[in-house]
Amino acid sequence: MKHSQRIGVAVRDEIRAFIQDTFLYMRPDLELQDDDNLMGLGVIDSLGFVELVEEVQSRYAIAIDDIEITEENLGSVSAIVRFIGAKRRS
Amino acid sequence: MNPRTLGDELRAAAARRGDHDAIVAGPRRLSYAELDRAADGFAAGLRGLGVQRGDRVAVILRNGIEPAIAIYGALRAGAAFTPLNPTAKAHKLAHLLAHSGAIAAVCSSDIAQTVGAAAVKAPNFRHLIVAGDPIDGSRSFEELVSTEPAAMREVLDVDLSAIIYTSGSTGMPKGVVFLHRNMRFVAGSIVEYLGLHAGDRILCVLPLSHTYGLYHLIMAVRVGATLVLEHGMTFPGRIVEALEREQITVLPGVPTVWQVLISLRGLADRDLPHLRLLTNAGAALSVSQLAAVRRTFSQARMFSMYGQTECKRVCYLPPDQLNARPASVGIAIPGTEVWIEDEAGREVGPGEVGELMIRGDHIMQGYWNDPQATARKLEQGRFPGDRVLRSGDLFRRDREGFLYFVGRTDDIIKSRGEKIAPREIEEVLYAATGVREAAVVGVDDALLGQAVIAHVSAVEGYALDPLALRRHCAEQLEDYMVPKTVVVHAELPKTDNGKLDKLTLRALGPGPAARAGCV
Repeated sequence: MKHSQRIGVAVRDEIRAFIQDTFLYMRPDLELQDDDNLMGLGVIDSLGFVELVEEVQSRYAIAIDDIEITEENLGSVSAIVRFIGAKRRS
Repeated sequence: MNPRTLGDELRAAAARRGDHDAIVAGPRRLSYAELDRAADGFAAGLRGLGVQRGDRVAVILRNGIEPAIAIYGALRAGAAFTPLNPTAKAHKLAHLLAHSGAIAAVCSSDIAQTVGAAAVKAPNFRHLIVAGDPIDGSRSFEELVSTEPAAMREVLDVDLSAIIYTSGSTGMPKGVVFLHRNMRFVAGSIVEYLGLHAGDRILCVLPLSHTYGLYHLIMAVRVGATLVLEHGMTFPGRIVEALEREQITVLPGVPTVWQVLISLRGLADRDLPHLRLLTNAGAALSVSQLAAVRRTFSQARMFSMYGQTECKRVCYLPPDQLNARPASVGIAIPGTEVWIEDEAGREVGPGEVGELMIRGDHIMQGYWNDPQATARKLEQGRFPGDRVLRSGDLFRRDREGFLYFVGRTDDIIKSRGEKIAPREIEEVLYAATGVREAAVVGVDDALLGQAVIAHVSAVEGYALDPLALRRHCAEQLEDYMVPKTVVVHAELPKTDNGKLDKLTLRALGPGPAARAGCV
């Protein structure tokens, strides 16, 4: 496994763990898939996205602009991992 | 034409500026001529189903073009609309459909089964109308909208226009009854002090199922402005993009909306030359939040407002007063009066605290099928037909007459701009196995306005799991009502006369730990 892939896996696990601990404790029967739509499934609401953005900014030391808080960037675990990867490379 | 009803206002807007955008919702746009035609079609469709003057049509839809058509179509048919929250759980919908005596309900296909099941026990209910894919036994909203318009009996300004449900301190919500006359009056008053006009483009992230959001539809139609609808604040990037793309001039919000917006990086640096007007209601912004909102949107004027469903809006602070009295909610809206009374019914002077009383044509006719609650809220004024609304809220005024909210006389919680009756949550908690005592209080919270905190104690021999209790609440209640924290006590504190002591519980604050830790 390449270094960047390992980092991607670590980020994925961390994001999943954060979502699990922060939002999914209310939904014990839900098995979240990486491509599941977080809003569509009702996993995260608007205030939840504010928490998620704060967590991602502080944990990965990246700055997320207002216009970047979109479904494409934060709508699923996969999207978040991709977005963090792109932000760290930029 | 001299508009007398809400439906007349749409007709007038379509006559004045038929090609102008009335509603923008995602990729869909509806001009005033199209909205007018669709409302006529839906009205004719409802009449064809047997809907009569004074019947209630429940509108259970997320923000989009459908609720606009459903509301104006129902009004044109002579019916009243009852907006219900599409995220409400089945037992709540069942109660509200039965209580309102709704003859029909309009909903989207994803909740059609739930609404259909909820309507089974509603005695007057006859027609489930589904936007999108219909289900067995339902009618297609789109087909009804395409009905050929037909001539109809005139709707009067004293006809029923809406029953709007609001949480009361005694459990299930109360249905607030309005006539066309009342709604047109208050919409006109708000349009006047905000200075709304046909060139405005209003971005509404607030649900149309709630009066604050709903009146932006009514006011946009009244002046022929454009209403841009979004589903809440979930992805704030969409909201920022809509502000720029749609050249938004008016942005209404509740504290939660503003708190999300002021937390966004880069928004304050954005050039939003069209945005001229911000309004806040639902709950007060703190002075520091207000300052942050003004820094973020430095070119726009902010109106701080206060109201309640029973009269829609009570007062507003003219923006030129914001620096001098940032904590004030201002003066009575145009065409109405307010004063403050002590417990003996005497008007109090500057600086003294009492209950705010309201007089004007904006006040409700009463609560639907609840004469006792109506009698507690509405008082006979000085002559037959003169009515005064008791706000139930404590206020004071300064020497210049500006109003300040002091507190509530009941224990209603305001969270995310929604009114929450603690008793509704307490009843759900009492229904959980092992709960002996339950008391729900609101505590101050920067993001939510107030956070819902539940305090419980267990029946002997039971161990209560806060997480399991929150899940139990989430199954029964709308999301905004689910306690942020459940605190388990050996026994809850009592007052001298043996009642649960909510003052002491409120003073405990948000509880021992935040969300993830203690739940």
